[in-house]
Amino acid sequence: MIEYQVAVFIRGETIDLVPLNSEHINLYAKWENKPNVRIYARNIIPKTVEDMKKLLEPSKDNYKTEINFEVWHKKDKKPLGFGEVANINWYLQMGWLGLIIGESEYWGQKIGEEVTRLMVEYAFNELNLFKIYAGITSANIGSWQCAEKNGFTREAVFKKDAYVNGKYFDVFIYTLFKEDWLKIKK
Amino acid sequence: MVNIIMTEENEKKDAKEEKIEVFPFIKGETIDLVAENSKWVELICKWNNDPDVRRYSRNTWPQTIEEIKKWSEPSPRDQMKEFIDLTIYHKADKRPIGLIGFGHIDWVGRKANIFAMIGESEYWGKGIVGEASKLVIEYGFNELNFNKIYAGIYSPNERSLRAAEKLGFVKEGIFKEEQYVDGQYHDVHKFALFKKDWIKSKEKK
Repeated sequence: MIEYQVAVFIRGETIDLVPLNSEHINLYAKWENKPNVRIYARNIIPKTVEDMKKLLEPSKDNYKTEINFEVWHKKDKKPLGFGEVANINWYLQMGWLGLIIGESEYWGQKIGEEVTRLMVEYAFNELNLFKIYAGITSANIGSWQCAEKNGFTREAVFKKDAYVNGKYFDVFIYTLFKEDWLKIKK
Repeated sequence: MVNIIMTEENEKKDAKEEKIEVFPFIKGETIDLVAENSKWVELICKWNNDPDVRRYSRNTWPQTIEEIKKWSEPSPRDQMKEFIDLTIYHKADKRPIGLIGFGHIDWVGRKANIFAMIGESEYWGKGIVGEASKLVIEYGFNELNFNKIYAGIYSPNERSLRAAEKLGFVKEGIFKEEQYVDGQYHDVHKFALFKKDWIKSKEKK
């Protein structure tokens, strides 16, 4: 990996959240298509580099409905995945969190937990959101643990809402309200 | 012959005006706040250029119909509105008389600038801006979920200064010589109303 200036947007401990980088576009495509990654992200359509480039197209809107970050490993100096606050509803002050750790050798190191913590803080304290959602399939135990550790509670279960490897899975709708998050932080 | 044609044209014009369908968005007593109608652009153009009106709304440039039409063009889907306009419609007289709404909407900071304009000067001094403002403030806090509504009023506009205080706005500061109107610099008084204070004052009543 070529050394370059990393434009840190949110500083973490193990990782930083940085803007998407057009030089990493092939890496993004690799993650999105990777069988063991996409199964959790429920990507069932192959993604092209052009699809990924769309994420980087500057938007004319002052209010983005989707905000993407690259997850940058500080010690290893490499990108590991990406996170997003998506489907933002600015009228109602709500949004959905999404997260992919594309480099699977970094799984199980609580990196997802840290990314979630930083994104939640960003969503509440900078975007002024009021409620955050995350939709996680019942099979994706790692992700619900990550959500629960960050204070999310299971608000609803959408029955058989995901179809993975020939089987239907329920999708847990996790939510976190700002007021509850503030209490937990104390 | 000429006269007859003129009359027919006038009749046609009257018929056309009658046909404009009004869509009330917020109902009031003397007035309703209604959705903008593209058929009113000529009227808005008249108001915005009217020397007596624009003196207070501080319009320094002549506005063309095309420019006004641009304002009311629908914004692309999913794009957040940075201003919201409503037409003040006089119920008894069945005619649009002015505009009110929010500009500079900050959806993260939950604040916006309130503006109001009565284009037909015979309706000035009748408490219409007060009524319309109350309606639009309620809309701003209870539907759009703003935290703060603010206004900038320049010093010669005494009627608006009084109206702001009557509505519960508190002066936050004075920007010195902020506006150049009629050959002179004028101070602009910055007023603000917070949701929490507005709720409290409503409870008292």
